[in-house]
Amino acid sequence: MTTDLQSNWYPIASSSDLPKRHVYQAQLLGREFAVWRADDGYVNVWENRCLHRGVRLSIGINNGTELRCQYHGWRYANRTAGCTYIPAHPADAPARTICNNTYPAQEAYGLVWAGELAVGELPAIDGFESATVLRPVPIMAPQKMVNQALLGYAWDDTCESAENSDGSVTITATDGSAVRVFVQPVDSNHSVARALYNRKVAGEERIALLKRHSWLMQELRDRTETQAARQETPAPYEPVIAKVSEDLVDIPAISVDGRKADLRVQVARKEMTADGIASLRLEAIKDQLPTFQPGAHIDVHLPNGLVRQYSVTNGPGETDHYTIGVKREPDSRGGSVAIHDTVGEGDVLAISAPRNNFPLRRDAVHTIFIAGGIGVTPLIAMARALNAQGLEFEFHYFVQSDDHVAFKRELSEFEGALNIHKGQSPKETGETLTEVLANPGYARHVYICGPGPMLEATRQIAADKGWADEAVHFEYFKNTTELDDSNSFEIDLARSAMTLTVPAGKSILDVLRENGINMSSSCEQGACGTCRCGVIEGDVIHQDVYLSDGEKAEGRSIMTCVSRAASNRLILDI
Amino acid sequence: MIKLYDYELSGNCYKLRLLMSFLGVEYESKLIDFYPGNQHKSEGFRQINPLGQLPVVDDDGLVLRDAQAILVYLASKYDASGKWYPRDNPALLGQISQWLAFADGITATASAARLHDALFYTQIDVDAARAGANTLFRILDEHLYFAEEAGQDWICPGDHPTIADIACFPYIMLSEEGGVSRMDYPAIRRWCDRFKRIPGFTVMSGVFPAGPAVSGSIVSAA
Repeated sequence: MTTDLQSNWYPIASSSDLPKRHVYQAQLLGREFAVWRADDGYVNVWENRCLHRGVRLSIGINNGTELRCQYHGWRYANRTAGCTYIPAHPADAPARTICNNTYPAQEAYGLVWAGELAVGELPAIDGFESATVLRPVPIMAPQKMVNQALLGYAWDDTCESAENSDGSVTITATDGSAVRVFVQPVDSNHSVARALYNRKVAGEERIALLKRHSWLMQELRDRTETQAARQETPAPYEPVIAKVSEDLVDIPAISVDGRKADLRVQVARKEMTADGIASLRLEAIKDQLPTFQPGAHIDVHLPNGLVRQYSVTNGPGETDHYTIGVKREPDSRGGSVAIHDTVGEGDVLAISAPRNNFPLRRDAVHTIFIAGGIGVTPLIAMARALNAQGLEFEFHYFVQSDDHVAFKRELSEFEGALNIHKGQSPKETGETLTEVLANPGYARHVYICGPGPMLEATRQIAADKGWADEAVHFEYFKNTTELDDSNSFEIDLARSAMTLTVPAGKSILDVLRENGINMSSSCEQGACGTCRCGVIEGDVIHQDVYLSDGEKAEGRSIMTCVSRAASNRLILDI
Repeated sequence: MIKLYDYELSGNCYKLRLLMSFLGVEYESKLIDFYPGNQHKSEGFRQINPLGQLPVVDDDGLVLRDAQAILVYLASKYDASGKWYPRDNPALLGQISQWLAFADGITATASAARLHDALFYTQIDVDAARAGANTLFRILDEHLYFAEEAGQDWICPGDHPTIADIACFPYIMLSEEGGVSRMDYPAIRRWCDRFKRIPGFTVMSGVFPAGPAVSGSIVSAA
């Protein structure tokens, strides 16, 4: 049921009802809200249920950046309400589509205002710019009846009352003092009277004022409730409660978008975070940015037409901006140079939603991060996520010199877990890594990101030390393999019931797109993992750097942007 | 060692588990099968407490019944700091006793509604019990609102919680199991957060822990 009432703004809380790390419970026109203030001051007004099993989020835990459900620990991010973590699937990133319902909210005049379908600015409340918020009083009576009763509210003989166009009631005394009361329709027979006094008062005068109002309202409440009890109770409002989708436990959802740049962001700050490395703070132009998982990257579409991938470095719950780090590459093909030389503060960029092909397991007993140079960026986001949860990790960062250490402020959060290795030769680096990777074991995981040769060396050392393939996670910046696209072969698409020919000079991805099959992709050079597809039958020539050696040998997946068939025919799970 | 005649789902027994946990006092739980066994009405138990009610403690031969009475005794004997029940402060003692009696009222209403809904006490007039609970919650919410205005975190004045907070907490926190929502009582809800952050706090079935406060304090200041 949609009513005109839903497009109004109503106060649902006093600002002081939302101390940090608290979750407030509210209801408006029959719909329950979980309301919480994040540590950055933002007020979240969400549907009061977890998307998983429907438990009230108002009994959840506000940890300052995320709200955690008490039942199975699902976490939702400040601002977007996107799910950031599902404890039952610690190895997987939740799909971006798992997002709780949020409602419009504003904080003004010491009150928190909301409306299920409210739009635009809250109308000005003239004369109450410097007001005292009085104690809200719940009344078990319909909103209209309470409004009517408020016309009789008076603290002395000079009080006169009048109803305003928005339904609120103003009571004014001849000395100019005034109280304006707004009635929040909790349900058809349940209201809360929220009032403002038009002066700021302090000390004993304030307490006397608050007590006077509390007393008058309770007297008014008792009279009104007696009156309401004599009438037939109206039927409760029936807000439409959308069914919780059953597939919310199947994670992650397969996205079916191609290479899109749906988001527009503004470069709010650009600064050199280390020698040759720029950090860019990208803020949404309107609305909010989608929730990201640690390890995720975004495609940045540059003014010169190039598309580049950059990892998001943010900590959990930071959804009002993404921060990326960009190294000026000496042999740049134009991407990093464009960002360093052309893009400036205030510029608008098109970016894709974050995509995570480098997911972080949160069920490890110990996690080792190994970063080389600019490869530190995804690992910063991962370590910040573990740090926020109090999970154990160590962070090894290999750099040329102190001048090359990027994101020092973020790294300082890791305190004792941080080891910066400066100016080591490849041989010394190998020795350090041999030490760091000395102890593989149950539920111990390694994440590596850095230049190709260092990555290869680290993977080799890990293998030599007995680390299992599944425990070693890595992300390459780019694929330096010399690609061979000289053969031709057929692909059978098992789900689409089509057979297509991939000629020499074209990729599987190109042929799929030409035939109307929408396949996501990002880097299109076999490094990021976005265009991964299942292989049902046939042998693959792997030319990517995304899959592990084990996965390549298994032959169950293919990167459609660069890899090809070794046989005449491949049957793909698409 | 103190012996507590105990039942997991009893809020009155929980009051004593809370205080002994806050004080770090060791005790032994003697489990009484309240539901479905009805063991608190058995002949054996009525010889310990003729009222046939939980909880009871036996401290080295001293047998005491009634949760509020036991709170007074345990705090007086085992709290070296004297903060939970300040015996040298008549004004505070008067206020604590006032709220201990109020807590009995919460048991008679909010707990009764819960017994009706959750433990099949069908003879209870549940509508009257819920209405009674709401009347008390309105009074406590206003009291805690003005306590916050005065910079106070707890039911009785001072910078430390008292046994009055312990006596009121369990059946308020369990009220939704009796169909009494706390949505209309925001000051009570904030006090519940503060209470859960007292060092040594323990949970029971139906009571969830709170997350940490900003900077580790138990005070909820914005």
